[in-house]
Amino acid sequence: MALLGEVVRFTFLSLSITSIYVLVAIGLSIVFGSLKFVNMAHGALYLLGAYVGLFIAYSNTRVGGSLESFAPLGLEWGFGAALILTPIVVAILGVIMERLMAKPLYDRDMLDQLLITFGVLIGLQEVIGITTGRTGYTYTRPEWAQGPIPLPGIGTASRWRIYVIFATIALLAIILMFYKYTDYGLAVRAGTEDAEMTQMLGIRITRPYLLIFAIGAAYAGLAGILGGSTFNVGPQIGIEIIIPALVIVIMGGVGSIRGTIIAALMAGVTFSAVTEFWPAMATASIYILAIVVLTLKPQGIVPSVVLEE
Amino acid sequence: MSTDLDFGDEPLLSWDRWDRMKNSELFIFFAAGAFAVLFPWLFIRAPITGDIFTGYGSLAKTILIWSIFAVGFNLLLGETGLLSFGHAAFYGVAGYGAGWVAIYSYGHPLLMIVVGVIMGAVFSMLVAPILLRLHTVYFAIVSLAIAQTLFWLAREPFNQWTGGENGLTRMEVKPLFGDVTPADQLPDVLGTLMGSWMYLLIAVFFVITIVAVHRVKKSPYGLIFKAIRENETRSAFIGMDVWRYKFASFVMSATIAGLAGALLTVDKAFVGIRRLWWSASGDVVVMTVIGGLRTLFGPVAGAIVYQWFGGVVDGYPQIGQYWLLILAAVFTGIVWWYPDGIWGLFSQIGDFLRSLGGDNE
Repeated sequence: MALLGEVVRFTFLSLSITSIYVLVAIGLSIVFGSLKFVNMAHGALYLLGAYVGLFIAYSNTRVGGSLESFAPLGLEWGFGAALILTPIVVAILGVIMERLMAKPLYDRDMLDQLLITFGVLIGLQEVIGITTGRTGYTYTRPEWAQGPIPLPGIGTASRWRIYVIFATIALLAIILMFYKYTDYGLAVRAGTEDAEMTQMLGIRITRPYLLIFAIGAAYAGLAGILGGSTFNVGPQIGIEIIIPALVIVIMGGVGSIRGTIIAALMAGVTFSAVTEFWPAMATASIYILAIVVLTLKPQGIVPSVVLEE
Repeated sequence: MSTDLDFGDEPLLSWDRWDRMKNSELFIFFAAGAFAVLFPWLFIRAPITGDIFTGYGSLAKTILIWSIFAVGFNLLLGETGLLSFGHAAFYGVAGYGAGWVAIYSYGHPLLMIVVGVIMGAVFSMLVAPILLRLHTVYFAIVSLAIAQTLFWLAREPFNQWTGGENGLTRMEVKPLFGDVTPADQLPDVLGTLMGSWMYLLIAVFFVITIVAVHRVKKSPYGLIFKAIRENETRSAFIGMDVWRYKFASFVMSATIAGLAGALLTVDKAFVGIRRLWWSASGDVVVMTVIGGLRTLFGPVAGAIVYQWFGGVVDGYPQIGQYWLLILAAVFTGIVWWYPDGIWGLFSQIGDFLRSLGGDNE
C-alpha cells in the first residue's frame, strides 16, 4: 500500500511539473513550428505572467526597486482572480509583442530571430528587475488550493497538483482542437505548408497567426502563476524557464505538438525522479536527457518539420 | 609580406597604400600591439579622462581578456555563422584546468595557460560531434544546455574539485621568471603605460590571438568558413567536407575562449562558478554583436563598451541601474537595424570623411 501511495504521489508530482513545462513549451512549439519563428522572449511572457498574477492576487508589502515607495502594491483580488485574469492580460501583452517584435521578424534569418528575442528577453527582465527589485517573491496559495485530497484505498494526493494537472489537460485539449478543427487553425496549418499560396487564395493568415501567438502567450502567462507557486519568482525566471522550454521543444521535434507533449512528459518525469534522490542535478538532468535524445535523433523525437539548411 | 610593403615610387601617403597596408599582417600586428600598449594608459591614466578611472586598473585586464574571448567567438559566429550560446563551457573548463594545475602541480603562469587551453580545446572536440550535426536553433540551445549542465555538475557533484559556489581558491601563482610575479609592476615607462606584468602577459596573448584570427580569416581556409556561412548545402555540393571545416572553426573558437578563461584564472588566482553560467555565454554574444560581427576589431570595441557599462556606468548614480537594460536595447537595435555594429559605424564614418577629402573610391 505504501508503495502504491508512493507511486501515486510521484505520478502527480511529475505530472504537475510536466504541466508547467508543457504550458510554456506549447505556445513556443506552435509558433516555432508554424511560423518558423524562434522566440526566446516567450520566457518573458512567463515572467510577466508570474508578476501580473502576483500584483493581482496580493498586496505586496516588500516591493523593491523603483516602485519601493508605492508599497504595499497590488490589487489584492485573490489567487482565483489572478488565475483567471492573468492569462487575459498576458494574451494582450502577447498581441503587442507579436505586432511590435515578432511580425517584422517572420521573414528574417533564424539567427537574427534568436539574437533579437534574446535581447528583448534580457531587456524585459531588466525592466522587471529595476521596477520591482531583484529579490524574489513568494506565492501563498489560498486554502482551497492547498492540502491533500483523500484517495480511497490509496492514500492522499495534493489537491493543488490535481487541479494543475486537470487544468493543463483541458487547456491542451482546447489548443489542439483549435489547431485541428477550426477554420483559424486550418489557416495556420495551411500557412505552415505554404504561406504565399494560402494568401493568394484570399485567406488572411496574419490574424490566425496573431491569435495562435496570443493563445500561446496566455498559456505561458498562466504557467507563470503555476510555476511561480512551485519554483520561485524573480526577474531571472524568464531565461530560467525558456532554456528548459526550448530544450523540450527541440527534443520533441520542431513543429510537432505531440512531440512537445512527449518531451515535456519525459522532462517532467526525469526532473521529479532526479529531485527525489539528487536535487542538485534536477535541472541539469533535463539537459542531459535532451543531449542524449538529440545525439540519438538529431531531428527530435517526432520529426515533422525540416528546417531549411 | 615584403610585397605588401613594397611601394615602388608611389607617394608616401596615399589611400591606395593605406588600403593595401591595412590588411597586411604586419600592420595588424602593430595595430593590435599599439592598442594593447596604449589602451590602459589612455583608459586609466591619461589626462583626458581625469582621475575618475584611477581605480580601474584591473578593468583594463578584464577588458583585454574578454576581447580575446569575443574575438575568438566572432570566428565562429561571424565567420562560420554558428551561434553558440554555450561558449562559457570552454571558458570555464579552461579556467578550472588552469586552476587545477596551480593547486595540484606547479602554478607557473604559462603552464597554467597551456594546460587550461588544452583542456578547453579537448572539451570542445568532445562535444563537437554532438553539436555539429544540429541545425541553427538546435545548435544554439544544445550548446547552452551543455554549458548549463557543466554549471550544475560543477556546483554540487564535483564541488570537491571545483569548490562549488565558493569557487576554486587556495591556488598560488608562481613567479613568471626569477622573482618577478605577474602582479609586479613593469619597470619604468612600461609600468606607466601598462601597469603590471600580468597585463603584459595578457597583451602578448591578445596580440597573438588577433594576428592568428586575422591570418585564418584571410586564408583560403577561412574563406571556406564564409562559404559555409553563406550556403552550407552549396558548399557541400562543390565537394567541401563541411563538417570538417565547421569542426575546425568550432575548435579554434573554443580554444581561444579557453585562452581567455585560463588568463582570467592566472590574473585572479580564483575560479568562480559563475564562469559556467549562461550569462557568461550571453555576455560574449552581446559584446561580439555590439562590436560588429565579421570584423576583426569589432569584438574588442564591444568588449570595451560592455565592460565599461558593467564596471563603470554601473556605479553611476541614477542611471547606474539601467546599464544592462541600455545594453540589451542597444544589442537588440544593432541586430535589428545595423548589423555592422560599432566597428561598422567607425568604418562608415571613415569612408565618409574620406569622401569629403575627395577620394571617391
